[in-house]
Amino acid sequence: METLNLLMQGFATAATPINLMWAFVGCMIGTAVGVLPGIGPAVAVAMLLPITVKVEATASMIFFAGIYYGAMYGGSTTSILLNTPGEAGSMVTAMEGNKMAKSGRAGAALATAAIGSFVAGTIATVLVTFFAPLVAEYAVRLGPPEYFLLMVLAFTTVSAVLGKSTLRGMVALFVGLAMGLIGIDQITGQARYTGGVPELMDGIEVVLIAVGLFAVGEALYNVMYEGRVDETQNRLTSTHMTKEEWKRSWPAWIRATFIGFPFGTVPAGGSEIPTFLSYAAEKKLSKNPEEFGTTGAIEGVAGPEAANNAAITATLIPLLTLGIPTSNTTAILLGAFQNYGINPGPQLFDTNGALVWALIASMYIGNVMLLILNLPLVGLWVKLLNIPKSYLYAGILVFSTLGVYGMRQSAFDLVLLYAIGLLGVVMRRFDFPSAPVVVGMILGPLAEAQMRNAVSIGEGKWTIFLERPGSITLLVIILAVLILPRVLRRWAARKLALAQA
Amino acid sequence: MTQQHSSRSKPLQTLVGLGLVALSLLLAWGASSVSSEAGYGGVGPNFFPWVVSVAVLVCGVLCVVQALTGGFRDLEEGSGDPRAHWKGFVWVSAGLLLNAALITTLGFILSCTLCFVLAVRGFRSSEGELDLRLQAWIKDTAIGIALSAPVFWMFTKMLAINLPGLTNTGWL
Repeated sequence: METLNLLMQGFATAATPINLMWAFVGCMIGTAVGVLPGIGPAVAVAMLLPITVKVEATASMIFFAGIYYGAMYGGSTTSILLNTPGEAGSMVTAMEGNKMAKSGRAGAALATAAIGSFVAGTIATVLVTFFAPLVAEYAVRLGPPEYFLLMVLAFTTVSAVLGKSTLRGMVALFVGLAMGLIGIDQITGQARYTGGVPELMDGIEVVLIAVGLFAVGEALYNVMYEGRVDETQNRLTSTHMTKEEWKRSWPAWIRATFIGFPFGTVPAGGSEIPTFLSYAAEKKLSKNPEEFGTTGAIEGVAGPEAANNAAITATLIPLLTLGIPTSNTTAILLGAFQNYGINPGPQLFDTNGALVWALIASMYIGNVMLLILNLPLVGLWVKLLNIPKSYLYAGILVFSTLGVYGMRQSAFDLVLLYAIGLLGVVMRRFDFPSAPVVVGMILGPLAEAQMRNAVSIGEGKWTIFLERPGSITLLVIILAVLILPRVLRRWAARKLALAQA
Repeated sequence: MTQQHSSRSKPLQTLVGLGLVALSLLLAWGASSVSSEAGYGGVGPNFFPWVVSVAVLVCGVLCVVQALTGGFRDLEEGSGDPRAHWKGFVWVSAGLLLNAALITTLGFILSCTLCFVLAVRGFRSSEGELDLRLQAWIKDTAIGIALSAPVFWMFTKMLAINLPGLTNTGWL
C-alpha cells in the first residue's frame, strides 16, 4: 500500500491552490486548443515551453499535462459539430458523431464523448498509478543495449507501421534524426553541423520544430490550399442522455478503455489503431448495427472517444518510466523535463518522486475539472468555432512568435521558424507524416548516446546486441513489427482476390 | 484540360526526392568534417551522422524512383484546392519575415501586430475577400494590438520572460 501513500502525498501537493490553478488553466487551454481547428496540444505545449524558465517544475508539468489530456476532450466537440477531426485519434468520432449530429443528436454525442473521456481517463489514471511503478522497477535493470533497441522500436513503429507509406515515414524519421544531430555531441563535446553559426551550437530547440511544422506550416498550408474550403456547423442540442443511451454507452466506455490503454503503454504510439479497433468492436457487438454510418450509433462515439483518452493517458507510462515518448506531445513533454535537467526514466520515481506523484494525482483532479468544463459549459466552447479563420490563424502566428522568441530571444530563430513552416507545407502536401520528425529529433541524440555506450560496454563489438536476453527479445519484436503487418496485408489481399475470383 | 492535383505532379514529386538527395549530400559533407576519434568505445561522433546521411540518400533515391514510375505509392492527396493560392502565401510570408526582421527594433507588440495584420490580409485574399480599405486596416490593427499587448504583459510582467519592447518601460 506504499503506492497509495505516495499517491496521497501527491494529492497533497497537487491540491495546493497554486497547483490547482495551474491544472485548471492547463485544462482550459487544453480544451480551447482541442476545440480550435489548426492548433493542437503539441503546439500549445511547445509555445508555452518558455515558462519553464520561471515556473517551478511540478507546477508546469501539471499545467502541460492538463493541456495534453484536456485537448482530447475539446477535440471531440469539434469532430462532432464540424466533422473536421482535429487529430488522427478523433477521426472515428468525427465519422459517427457527425452522423448523430446530422440527425439532431449532437448533444447526446457530446455527452457520451465527454463522460466517456472522463471514465476512460480516470480508469487509465488508476492503471498508471499502479503499473508505472512496476514498470519503473523492472526498467532499472535495462542497460544501454536494451534502451537503444527500445528506442529503435519506438522509431520503427512511429515511422514504419503507422501511416500508409513506410518510405515516407522513414524520410520523416531521418529528417528528424538529422535535425537532432545539429549541435554539440553529448559524449565528446564536438560541434556537428553547426556550419560556424553560433546560434546552432546549442542545437535546434524542439519548440521551433514543433511550432514550425504544426502551427506555421498549418497556417501556410491553409492560406495556400484551403481558402475556399467551407465548413458547415451542426446545431448544438441539449446534452441530456436518455436512459437507453446511458445503457448503450457505458459498456462501450469500459471495453474501449481496456482496448486503448495497452496501445498507449507500448512504444507503438498513436491512438488511431485503438480507436478503429474499438469502433469495429462496437459495430460488431451492437444490437443496432444498422445505425452505424447512417443515423449515427452512440456506441460508435462512446467507444472510440474513450479508447482515445485511455491511450493518451497510458502514453505517460513509457514517457515517465523509460523516457521514451511515443507521440508528438509526449516528445515535447520530454523536452520540458529536459529543460529542468530532469531525465525521465526508471530512476524518476526515486529522484523526483514528489513531482511524479503530484502529476499523477493532478490527473484525477484534472479529469473532474474537464468533465465540468466540457459538459455544462460546452456552449461556451462552441462559440470559439465562430472566430473567423483569418483571425484564428493570424493569432496562431502571433503565439508562434511568442513561443519561439520567448525561448531564446533570437530573431534568427524566427527566420528558421519560417523555413520549418515551409518544410511543413511540403510534407503535408505530399503526405509525409510529421510525428516521426519530432520523435526522431528528440529521441535521436538519446538513442545515439545509448548506442555508443552499448558498444563501449561490448568493448567495441556490435555483438553486444545479440548477447543479452533482453536485447535479443527486443530485436525479435522489432523484426516482428516490421514484418508482420506486411505479411498480414498480403494475406488479406490474397484472400480478397480469392473471394472475388 | 483537366487540372491535375499538385500533389500528384511528377515534376514536383521528383523535386521533393531530389531535395532529399541534396540534403543527404549536405549531411555527408558535414559528416566528413566530424572527427572519427572513437576512444574506448569503437564508435565515434561521426558514425551516426554517416548512418543518417546514407539513410536519407537511400530514401531520396527511392522517392525519385517512385515519382518517376507512377508517383509516390499510397499517396493521399493533400486536402483542399489542387493548386496553390500564391497571393495569400506572399502576404503571410511577408508578415512572418518582417516580424523576424523588425521584432528587435519595433518591439514585440508592434512587430506582432504588423505580422497579424498582414496575415489577416493573406487569409482574406485566399478566401477571395481581400479588403484593402483603410477601415479594415485600422480594425485589424486594433485587434492585433488587443491580442499581442496582453500576451506581452503577461509574459514580461508575470513570468518575467524577456521580450523586446520599443521602449524600456516594459509596457510597449
